Amino acid sequence: MTKYIHPLPQTHWLSRLRRAISHGDLPWKWIIIAASVLVMVLILAVGEMLWRESADARSTFGFGFLTPTLTPDWDPVNDEFQAWPFIYGTLLTSLTAIVLALPISVGIAIFMAELCPPWLRMPLNWLVELLAAIPSVVYGLWGIFVFLPTVVTPVAEGLFETFGTVPGLSVLFTGPVPVSGASRLAAAFILTIMIIPTITAVTRDVLLAIPTSQREAALALGATQWETIWQVLLPYGLSGILGAIILGLGRALGETMAVTMVIGNSIEGSASLLRPGYTMASIIANEFAEAVTKLHTQSLIEIGLVLFVLTLILNMVARFLVWSVARKTPQEARA
Amino acid sequence: MTAHTTAHQTNFQKLIEKNHASVSLRRKVTNAVMLSVTGLMTILALIPLFWIIGYVVYKGGQYINLDFFIHTPRPLGMEGGGVLNAIQGTLIISGLASLIAIPPAILAAFYAANNPNTPLGVVLRFSTDVLSGIPSIVIGLFAYAIIVKPMGHYSGFAGAVAMAMLMLPTIIRTTEEMLKLVPHTLREASLGLGAPEWKTSISVVLPAALNGIMTGILLSVARAAGETAPLLFTALGNERYDLGLIIQSGIAQKQGFFEILKRVFDQPVDSLPLTLWKYAQQPYPERIEQSWAAALVLMIVILLINIFTRLWVESRKRRLQG
Amino acid sequence: MSKITRSFMFVLLALAFVLAACGGNSATPETIVQTQIVEKEVTAQPAMTEEPLPAGSVQINGAGATFPLPIYTEWTYAYSYVDPAVVINYQGIGSGGGKKAIIDGTVDFAGSDSLLKAEEYDAGKDLQMYPMVASAVVVIYNVAYENVPDGTTPAKLVLDRQTLVDIFNGKVNNWTDPAIVELNPDLKDFLPNATITVVHRSDGSGTTEIFTKSLTAFSSDWTAGGASSVEWPVDQAGNGVGGKGNQGVSAAVINTPNSLGYVEISFAKSNGLAFADLINKSGNKVTASAESIASDMATFGPEAFDDKLTATIVDGDGAGDYPIVGYTYLILHTESMTDCVKAGKLLEYVQWTLTDASAAKRAGDLGYAVLPGAVRDAVLAKLGEVTCNGEPVMK
Repeated sequence: MTKYIHPLPQTHWLSRLRRAISHGDLPWKWIIIAASVLVMVLILAVGEMLWRESADARSTFGFGFLTPTLTPDWDPVNDEFQAWPFIYGTLLTSLTAIVLALPISVGIAIFMAELCPPWLRMPLNWLVELLAAIPSVVYGLWGIFVFLPTVVTPVAEGLFETFGTVPGLSVLFTGPVPVSGASRLAAAFILTIMIIPTITAVTRDVLLAIPTSQREAALALGATQWETIWQVLLPYGLSGILGAIILGLGRALGETMAVTMVIGNSIEGSASLLRPGYTMASIIANEFAEAVTKLHTQSLIEIGLVLFVLTLILNMVARFLVWSVARKTPQEARA
Repeated sequence: MTAHTTAHQTNFQKLIEKNHASVSLRRKVTNAVMLSVTGLMTILALIPLFWIIGYVVYKGGQYINLDFFIHTPRPLGMEGGGVLNAIQGTLIISGLASLIAIPPAILAAFYAANNPNTPLGVVLRFSTDVLSGIPSIVIGLFAYAIIVKPMGHYSGFAGAVAMAMLMLPTIIRTTEEMLKLVPHTLREASLGLGAPEWKTSISVVLPAALNGIMTGILLSVARAAGETAPLLFTALGNERYDLGLIIQSGIAQKQGFFEILKRVFDQPVDSLPLTLWKYAQQPYPERIEQSWAAALVLMIVILLINIFTRLWVESRKRRLQG
Repeated sequence: MSKITRSFMFVLLALAFVLAACGGNSATPETIVQTQIVEKEVTAQPAMTEEPLPAGSVQINGAGATFPLPIYTEWTYAYSYVDPAVVINYQGIGSGGGKKAIIDGTVDFAGSDSLLKAEEYDAGKDLQMYPMVASAVVVIYNVAYENVPDGTTPAKLVLDRQTLVDIFNGKVNNWTDPAIVELNPDLKDFLPNATITVVHRSDGSGTTEIFTKSLTAFSSDWTAGGASSVEWPVDQAGNGVGGKGNQGVSAAVINTPNSLGYVEISFAKSNGLAFADLINKSGNKVTASAESIASDMATFGPEAFDDKLTATIVDGDGAGDYPIVGYTYLILHTESMTDCVKAGKLLEYVQWTLTDASAAKRAGDLGYAVLPGAVRDAVLAKLGEVTCNGEPVMK
């Protein structure tokens, strides 16, 4: 209809533009592209802000800020800062949590994907995901008043008595165990509970994505169900499970409130799992609001930058691993 | 590819050899034991869940009362204090955060759903994942730097911006999934009738997926409402916050709608998790009692939203899949 | 009177103000019933502006030290009945946080027990500290006494000034050290032969500033100086540990047998921790209390204040003086406030906390010592110098 109104030929760029605008598709396209770009811009903005706002700390302390040291220095009064105790605390608690959460999560994923009756799968899935829905502060509250005294303290005492004097291991298990139970171990336990849903969900999806033909082949060869799972399915989905571990690690690294509430918040030289410590996220939560000097503030932001970069790398690796499993799996997958 | 295949072939060969050689009883026992271990792991993981829920209900139930919902905090030793300020703050922050996050999230989801394989689509999916992986405390630092510092004071608005950044990836992802569930035929029919792309998206595809999107939004609000870390340096906390009083005084001073709105968002506010955190660290028993009550309220809201939305999504999926 | 009764009376008094000020506008049925049994008490009437502003129309934000948090919470709550137009929010984020916030201008007033340093005065341009109340830092301890007969409780630990310095120097490091035994003859049989774990603050804090200034005054053996954070000799000696905040030190002492540390008195009381009696400069044994704090303040008097209105009042030589005492301060901008209505309301509130009888009573009940009259007058005079857009705020 409109073509008779326009004096310009249809193919003229102006007429095409006018048509596109009046039709509304061009603006629409640009709006949704803008919204998509916004997400990317936000991430760049976060990175840029952290980089810019930590400039002085980076130039003052250099790499010494991040390197391992036996005599950590975190002195707001004399403006000397080193992040190692927090990096160590974060790594120790997160890795311990992964080691503890992995067998549990893989167990649950196997149970949900391979064993449980179909009617149970959905409710079970919900329950495990509910673990992820509980607010961090509620974990912390429950941790301080219930979990620490009833579980963490006895376990820590036991570990101290068992390994406290074993050469080599004693570094990780020196005491004394705080009576309140507030320690790196407590943080690791709480983190374990919090990352189980993450690892379980991804592992389960990976298992479900493995073609049925693999199972059938193994079973047809006379393997028991466990042998099928252990020797065929898990190796097949290994890189996906690795991805799950890394996603879980990412979650554990950034967890703030629950950890801050149970870890005891102490900057001390001890490397022990049974002693109070600090993590990168919890030092920011505790000190950012009261950091007066510029270097103190900037050092905390630099710790934020380290966290940001770490989670960025972990995310990339995890996505790559999960994606590589998805690519390997044929589309017909599992009917 | 080939490396994997050979690896599996060797696995199968091993299995065959084993079947010929091994004692079947031992294998049967291993099978039974290991399979029950996976069941035990499942139970083990669910213990903390029921423990937490049970304990919060038990403790919170003892200390919760009407005052808790209708009064602002009172000094220690004075009866009848509540956390009205925190409840209002939670609603205000989550509400404003939703308003900020939803429009761009839905638009980006449209792009992701329609162009999954363009370079921007891939980048979008990746950045959504990265954004959801950034620790919430770092988001808090970001909001402090871009809003609190330039504005010169802590505010509920700054808290809402931080919350919105946390909600963005979740909403994009769930919306994208819901949009993909809408049958192609619907979209094609609309386009075939000559409706432009934007009109098809807004008035055909969006309504068809709306319920699912709403549940996704609700879920992300539930997640955000329980967050504390991003509010530490943005919303700060405010024991004296009282929405009713602000509105009343605004009206009494003959302020316009926007002036009052500004006052609602432009000052520090509390939220339930923030209050819970502050109270749990105080050495006073009555504050700790109130933090249990706050935990109960949070848990009820979050559990209800979770159960409701999941039931809804399941029924919807079943309907769509026939 | 029990705590609840006291609180009740306080509410009644506060409600009486409301009725007086607003002619019953905001009275609920509940308050009307209660006011029938109100006691009359003479209190300073807040200076009213010509036309009362509607309730809740001025929002004032403050943040800072956690030590005065209990009393600030009570004051701001009560003040919402004195002047309903004002809503005052105070967040306890630490002295350092308060200083940062007032320098950055993110709050209207700050609380701090630590004095501003010269560079902080420079950074904040026109900052002024106003003492509000005083309190004590106490030495808390957790000793695993041995061979205590059933049914008896060991006596309170007593320390003198020199021994305290020696402990924090790491020189006295065992509970059976002759210096400690000599001061505590009653505990002689019970003190364990164990190392003293000394807990100090790991963060910069006003509490540490008051405490180390005291140590400096006690003995020339203390060479680490008096500041909000110092290099602890006891750390080098190997029996010192750090804890974050009053909370962290309390927790560390509770959790570590045979330890000793220092916290603000309110934390010792609320956590039920034992704290030591000290032998003061004049040789008397004193327990930290509102009376012994007030006695120390009286010894120093208003002359102790310098032109910045800050004072160090440790180690008084009066007979009943508790030696480790410090003021907690409110920090304001004196010239750069631009919202004059808000500035006026803020100063009215500060004036009320300093002059009102019920406000003072509440502070005393919580274990704080209020300012002596002469100091209070000096603070009020200083408040009168605050200007807003060049005009004096208080008329």
